[in-house]
Amino acid sequence: MIQLKKSYKYYNTGSRKAYVLSDISLDIAAGEFVSIMGPSGSGKSTLLHILGLLEEPNDGEYLFLGENVSHLTEKKRTELRRNQIGFVFQAYHLIDELTVYENIETPLLYKGLNSSERKSRVAELLDKFNIVGRKDLFPSQLSGGQQQLVGIARAIAGNPKVIFADEPTGNLHSEQATEIMELFKKLNEQEKVTIVQVTHSEHNATYGNRIIRLKDGLVVQ
Amino acid sequence: MLKYYFKIALRNLWLQKGFSAINIIGLAIGLACFIMIALYVTDELSYDRYNEKADRIYRINSDIRFGGTDLNMAVSADPMGATLKKDYPQVEDFTRLYASEGSKLFKRGTQFITEDRVTYADSNLFNVFTFPSLIGNTKTALNEPNTVVINETTAKKYFTTSENAMGKMMECKDDKTQLYKVTAVIKGIPKNSHFNFDFFLSMDNVEYEFGNFLSHNFHTYILLKAGTDYKAFNKNFIQVIDKYILPQAKQFMNIKSMEDFAKSGNKIEYSLIPLTAIHLHSERNVELSANGNIQYVYIFSAVAIFILLIACINFMNLSTARSAGRAKEVGIRKVLGTEKKSLIGQFLTESTITVFIALFIAVGITWLSLSWFNNLAGKAMQLSTLLKPQYMIFLATLPFVVGTLAGMYPAFFLSSFQPITVLKGKINAGFKKSTLRSSLVIFQFAASIILIIGTIIIYKQLNYIQTTKTGFNKDQLLVVDNASMKTSTAETFRNEVSKLAGVKASSFGGFLPVSNSSRNDQTFFTDAVMSDKNGFNMQVWRVDYNYIPTLGMEILSGRNFSEQYGSDSSALIINETLAKSLGPGDPIGKAIYNSDGPDKPTRAYTIIGVVKNFNFESLRKNVAPLCMRLGNNKWMSAYRVESGDIKSLLAKVEDKFKAMSPGMPFNYSFLDDSFDNMYREEQRVGKVALTFALLAVLIACLGLFGLATYMAEQRTKEIGVRKVLGATVPNIVTMLSKDFLKLVFIAFLIAAPIAWLAMHEWLKDFAFRTNIGWWIFIIAGVVAMSIALFTVSFQAIKAAIANPLKSLKAD
Repeated sequence: MIQLKKSYKYYNTGSRKAYVLSDISLDIAAGEFVSIMGPSGSGKSTLLHILGLLEEPNDGEYLFLGENVSHLTEKKRTELRRNQIGFVFQAYHLIDELTVYENIETPLLYKGLNSSERKSRVAELLDKFNIVGRKDLFPSQLSGGQQQLVGIARAIAGNPKVIFADEPTGNLHSEQATEIMELFKKLNEQEKVTIVQVTHSEHNATYGNRIIRLKDGLVVQ
Repeated sequence: MLKYYFKIALRNLWLQKGFSAINIIGLAIGLACFIMIALYVTDELSYDRYNEKADRIYRINSDIRFGGTDLNMAVSADPMGATLKKDYPQVEDFTRLYASEGSKLFKRGTQFITEDRVTYADSNLFNVFTFPSLIGNTKTALNEPNTVVINETTAKKYFTTSENAMGKMMECKDDKTQLYKVTAVIKGIPKNSHFNFDFFLSMDNVEYEFGNFLSHNFHTYILLKAGTDYKAFNKNFIQVIDKYILPQAKQFMNIKSMEDFAKSGNKIEYSLIPLTAIHLHSERNVELSANGNIQYVYIFSAVAIFILLIACINFMNLSTARSAGRAKEVGIRKVLGTEKKSLIGQFLTESTITVFIALFIAVGITWLSLSWFNNLAGKAMQLSTLLKPQYMIFLATLPFVVGTLAGMYPAFFLSSFQPITVLKGKINAGFKKSTLRSSLVIFQFAASIILIIGTIIIYKQLNYIQTTKTGFNKDQLLVVDNASMKTSTAETFRNEVSKLAGVKASSFGGFLPVSNSSRNDQTFFTDAVMSDKNGFNMQVWRVDYNYIPTLGMEILSGRNFSEQYGSDSSALIINETLAKSLGPGDPIGKAIYNSDGPDKPTRAYTIIGVVKNFNFESLRKNVAPLCMRLGNNKWMSAYRVESGDIKSLLAKVEDKFKAMSPGMPFNYSFLDDSFDNMYREEQRVGKVALTFALLAVLIACLGLFGLATYMAEQRTKEIGVRKVLGATVPNIVTMLSKDFLKLVFIAFLIAAPIAWLAMHEWLKDFAFRTNIGWWIFIIAGVVAMSIALFTVSFQAIKAAIANPLKSLKAD
């Protein structure tokens, strides 16, 4: 479902181009759970952002769900993000001004679901993630692990085909991290959601079924 | 979706209470100022418009220059109205007021009451003006002699009810006693009228030599037929002058033709002024009340717009500044698939709601402070004026316009970013040094500084007027109205009062160097053979022997009137202006001539002294030519008092008055009060300007405070790092304050020349004016800088003394 062909990403620093990614080609099939690994600065996050349509490669071709998305308008990309993609961030990135309930509801609002549809979907997620009791709390009132749970709930609220997770456990201690990784695994296996995660941890990478290793902007394995 | 926007908007307002409060209060104060000034300006513009025929009513103005003296009068000759109606079919009607006799005494029970607002009126006054009648038919009320129309308040005052007043007789006393029958009671004339009277006496009771085209004593209003161009109509006056005025003038002066008359530098001109223009555009001799000034309407309109802009800019600045803190939220929303337009919708809803809240508070503030403002501005404005459709539309549109302007920048700016850039927090740097925001802050402070400078200069001019050498001593001069006394009684009264301890000098004389006292303008000639070549107009004041010393005037050369000289009845003391216009050489001993009328013999007067120029009209005007001669009027007496206890002295004077003139009202005034009254308009403007200048500065500071708070927050981490690296608290405070002070300084550089130009224009209106000292600008600059520094440093110091570890850990 994801095909990246000979893609490059660089930044112009003065007269030279600083390559973040060079000649990246990869294929990810529906239902896979892929981990992208590599040292700091190897281009993991940039790759994830390109895959998640948050950034555009300077060169190369990107097919998402069989559609060439290399040069889509912002409007079209927004639409794809809204309907097909979920994001999970290392820093959770919940909206501070909204409650747990409203954070989860937000993507549904943008999808145009009506009130009762939203209500039942959010209720279902709250129930599934065991956070019904916290639905009226604000992010600042939650622990890191709890915030990330909300983050994941929000990511899958719109029933996306794929979740991109950028070091989802990077800010968590190991016990919470395990819980989150188990959750990803469950989502992948039971609900057939494709998952692409960036991680530093070899242990976390083992939850997935494939590892892509990057070094200095190149795929090394 | 809209419901969602509302919810988010309100929650954001609530979560950022401090910020929202500053934002909303600043805007509310600004809007309240704007609404109040708008009410003020509307009121000024509304004068006389309540008249149903307002757009067809015109007053005849007369402009006469004779012998180098200009007379611009609001009055014209008594036959003028009738002549116009007879000769020109465009004239539908005319009506006249004769208010030259001033106040009169009316009897209530056994007591007489002084009434100032008394006029004689033509019987068709009520056909031209719209003064609705409560009882009686105003159309015929003044047809007969000895009739009077009064207003409701007066009816209640004298007869308890309007019904009671109808048909009753009123006793009126000036130099004789006359009974008037109340034939109609009208509602009070609205406050926004250029004249306002309580009594309208029948014109038939006026003792006047009617038919004289050369005397100008009647306020004449004409009603033109619909569609008549009054400017074109003005040309007809040339014919009127040729046909009626010239023949009369020839009778007592050697005039060949109007051309000849004009060649000698003289002129007679008449013109129409629309009724609705009188209040703001007319400042002539013998106006029926102190009019407003279109200049102040402009000034206040500008101030209103300035304040509204300052408040809106504040709002925009604070909203945009705060929106940077919401970059993360925008980023997340975009990652979640929010479309640009719904982000824009969210921001716009938020800012519009905020403006609505501010607007409601503003209307509340206006409601609470309107009576105070009415008092300050001398008006009777009502909040209900806001219910007029044009206001409603304006007020309803305002939140959308301001809301859109304020919300637009964050909406479009933030939503245009790549979500990942926003999430990474990269755009904060761009927000710190926003040229747009800097220019807005500069504009705000420039406007505030202009208002500060303007206010200082207005106050300086007021102070100048009050302390300037007017050529007479206005302090501690008591003036008593003796009009109700017989001449002999008045003399006894004066002698008695003069004996009181604390009374240093006394004089009879109704001619006083303040507005609204007697004036007498006459034509004199430098030669015994009168012609239009050697004539000139001047003030002729009838005074007594003690007038000049009592008023503290200074004789420059020659002598004062003296009882030792038997010939002083034809002696004149002239002022410096006249001395100069008589040409070189010592004026003492020179003779000038005048005649009381066409058939009266010419009389010669000898100049015996020159008095130092004193201002007898507003300081807006230069001192006109004037002479004094001995006279015998006793209707006013003036006393120079030097007493520590003015109150008890005044009580003694009143006792004497009551004893000699039982049943008559004791009317007195102090000359310095009357003098101050001449500048009431300026004083009001000064106070209003001061109030709004302070508010403008306050609003601008609220904005600056908000911005500084935001800046300090944004740079918390930077401050932390700098402190770890060894920066001291003063280092940090300087760093944070410097940028703002730079902006205020630039604002000062822009404001100073603009303020100078504007105030220079304003001062031009005064013949006697203060200078605009450079120190005013320094003061305004220093004040603005200090206020800005104080505002900013409060936040800067707070940020600087915070523990650096805290801010670094949090990141």
